[in-house]
Amino acid sequence: MGPHHPSMHGVLRLVVVPQGENVIDCKPILGYLHRGMEKIAENRTIVQYLPYVTRWDYLATMFTEAVTVNAPEKLANIQIPERASYIRIIMLELSRVASHLLWLGPFLADIGAQTPFFYIFREREMIYDLFEVATGMRMMHNYFRIGGVAADLPYGWVDKCLDFCQYCLPKIYEYERLITRNPIFLKRVKGVGFISRQEAINWGLSGPCLRASGVQWDLRKIDHYECYDKIDWQIKWQTEGDSLARYLVRIDEMKESINIIQQALKLLPGGPYENLEGRRIAQEKGRMNWNSFNYQFVGKKSSPTVKLPRQEHYVRVEAPKGELGVFLIGDDSVFPWRFKIRPPGFANLQILPQLLKGMKLADIMTILGSIDIIMGEVDR
Amino acid sequence: MNTVDKATFNPDMQGRISAWLTKHKFSHRPLGYDYRGVEILQVKSDEWLSIVVALYAYGFNYLRLQCAYDAAPGGSLISVYHLTQMRDQSHQPEEICAKVFVSRTNPQIPSVYWVWKSADFQERESYDMLGITYWGHPYLRRILMPESWIGWPLRKDYVVPNFYELQDAY
Repeated sequence: MGPHHPSMHGVLRLVVVPQGENVIDCKPILGYLHRGMEKIAENRTIVQYLPYVTRWDYLATMFTEAVTVNAPEKLANIQIPERASYIRIIMLELSRVASHLLWLGPFLADIGAQTPFFYIFREREMIYDLFEVATGMRMMHNYFRIGGVAADLPYGWVDKCLDFCQYCLPKIYEYERLITRNPIFLKRVKGVGFISRQEAINWGLSGPCLRASGVQWDLRKIDHYECYDKIDWQIKWQTEGDSLARYLVRIDEMKESINIIQQALKLLPGGPYENLEGRRIAQEKGRMNWNSFNYQFVGKKSSPTVKLPRQEHYVRVEAPKGELGVFLIGDDSVFPWRFKIRPPGFANLQILPQLLKGMKLADIMTILGSIDIIMGEVDR
Repeated sequence: MNTVDKATFNPDMQGRISAWLTKHKFSHRPLGYDYRGVEILQVKSDEWLSIVVALYAYGFNYLRLQCAYDAAPGGSLISVYHLTQMRDQSHQPEEICAKVFVSRTNPQIPSVYWVWKSADFQERESYDMLGITYWGHPYLRRILMPESWIGWPLRKDYVVPNFYELQDAY
């Protein structure tokens, strides 16, 4: 099954050995989208590298930026203001809703239901509009900075976002009414691609694939990062471990994300949105004029370059696909020594050959869709 | 870069898991902590499998990250394993980072695929990018680069072959 696929899966080549209608073996061949992101990172400062990172997971771009910016922040002990933390949470959860919506469309399109593919773009266009007004770009926003975010939310953004949340939640219930109890859908998806709890942990899965197999593991609760502790929300999980469970986990996560966004919007404090640039301006206050470049609003400001100390650590975020991690080894210069990206799709894709043994040919797309991979981050 | 330059054993650097391993007489060398407070151990390639089974018995059932890097252009290659104890509803789970140092001319490490299957693609990627051979891996082929590629791209002394623009730039 060649590298090109009809619905937004990316370039993944599956060499399938069938016997009649059953699948005997399957071998995924990756590397069609390998761009050498890790090698490039060794020659760029973090601020220079930020436009690259949105190209890993191009459907949930805020998470890639969040982890890239978290790595030097924690390494150099840079605190971010609370407003920036809440803005980040709102952006991350909007990105999570967007990513799950775009997972839903191709998943159902592969099974045969073409209609939700158009419906999800309706909500996704609204999220794009929100992002464009705040960050300047619909998809590849270069928004997060070391020390906070690049620019503050424009006037009226909070109200528009609340409107979107009130509009979107009934729409998610509409998707559920259309899809979840549909007998054709259930026949295609129930019992297909079962992963037991032990296997899920052993194969290194993360994200909805892991939570659908009964493991209550969500990095937002475990790592206590940003301000998730101040918001009241639950981990969504199921116990069955088949494709239907993964679908249910993602739908529940969408609803929970809308809940988190609404709470975070109410709790959004005032204050600065970025620390390093503000500190620099405060230090040079006497020498700058009121109408010079530093005080004008010309869009996003870039933060000062940070020298990475000679330390190493592994930071991670709970991306919609799973655990997205960056293992950063600093080198006492502005460039990192090693910038290893741990993509969730890469780890989740490993289980595919085992899941496909003994299944019918038609189940390949169901299982591949339910694991939710995106080749931009699998190949980097 | 956390290379081996401590000649004597420093007992202050030994963490809990390192103490447990020493109690059960597994030879390793504690390398202190990384910036988040995760213990780092250094293990030799021959003793790696016994330590792996010991760590699995301790409770580390989730291999989070397997990557590799080189200490210096011409120095040794290091294979890094981040392990976690995965449980339901846990707060601050135990984590450990194990490093295996191998020489650049003959990098051979036993594969941990049979203990944690999530090492499958990740070890293939370390082989592809840096050339570390993992004994016992069921299908060690290049994963991201084309199969016919020569050279190990992520090494610091890697020269990009036949890169037309780069040749002209100088």
